Amino acid sequence: MFKVNEANWDRIARVVLGIVLLYLGLGGVVAGGMGIVLDIFGAIFLLTGLVGICPLYMPFKFSTKK
Amino acid sequence: MENNFFERLKQNPRPVVVDFWAPWCGPCRAIEPVMKKLSAEYAGRVDVWKVNADEQPDLLRSLRIYGIPTLVAYHNGQEVARRTGAASPAALLPLFEAALSGDKPVRSGPAALDRLLRLTAGAALGILAIQGHFSGLYLFVAGLGLVVAFSAVYDRCPIYRALSSRLKALLHKEPANHPGA
Repeated sequence: MFKVNEANWDRIARVVLGIVLLYLGLGGVVAGGMGIVLDIFGAIFLLTGLVGICPLYMPFKFSTKK
Repeated sequence: MENNFFERLKQNPRPVVVDFWAPWCGPCRAIEPVMKKLSAEYAGRVDVWKVNADEQPDLLRSLRIYGIPTLVAYHNGQEVARRTGAASPAALLPLFEAALSGDKPVRSGPAALDRLLRLTAGAALGILAIQGHFSGLYLFVAGLGLVVAFSAVYDRCPIYRALSSRLKALLHKEPANHPGA
């Protein structure tokens, strides 16, 4: 349905970044509203990294995958 | 007995799919109709041998077969594919194709990078949930971690395979003929 538009390095970077952000948010390193923002961004990075599709790339027909 | 089996395999003019079974094994009986259909379809191109696991324990041990039914595809006497457990016709077809062509079947399921990413993400979510003592939101995170980790290895899980093939068979079941309807 949707074409994968992330290269392997992109996916690995997103998953690592997602885990770090979730750790900062959910792990209680950053508390309050900022923590929630980090949670949301972490979840988005993790999800887009796992599925290999970035919806933000789509309207611009951009892709890191060659 | 063992040497005899391998000798026969080498000398057989056609590729062979060997069905290791036992009379008491329910899943073995379950795949019997599928195997009959496939062996009829591939008649003259691929031979199907049945080996009673109870009668040849040494052979099974030497082939490292620890569960039945196990189907092993041989091309020119060399093993090219094997599958353990009950399966749908669609899942058994690649065995016959592999025996015929001698090419190893393409393994379906997630790619290596996908598996690695999913396992890593699942483990990270699990660790976060442990840190949060599984309370409230963290219980959800733990569940999510389990699902993500399982999605990395679902195709290797015999329970999932058995359940999904049953479910597929149920969904694709042709409507029963009602006499007199």
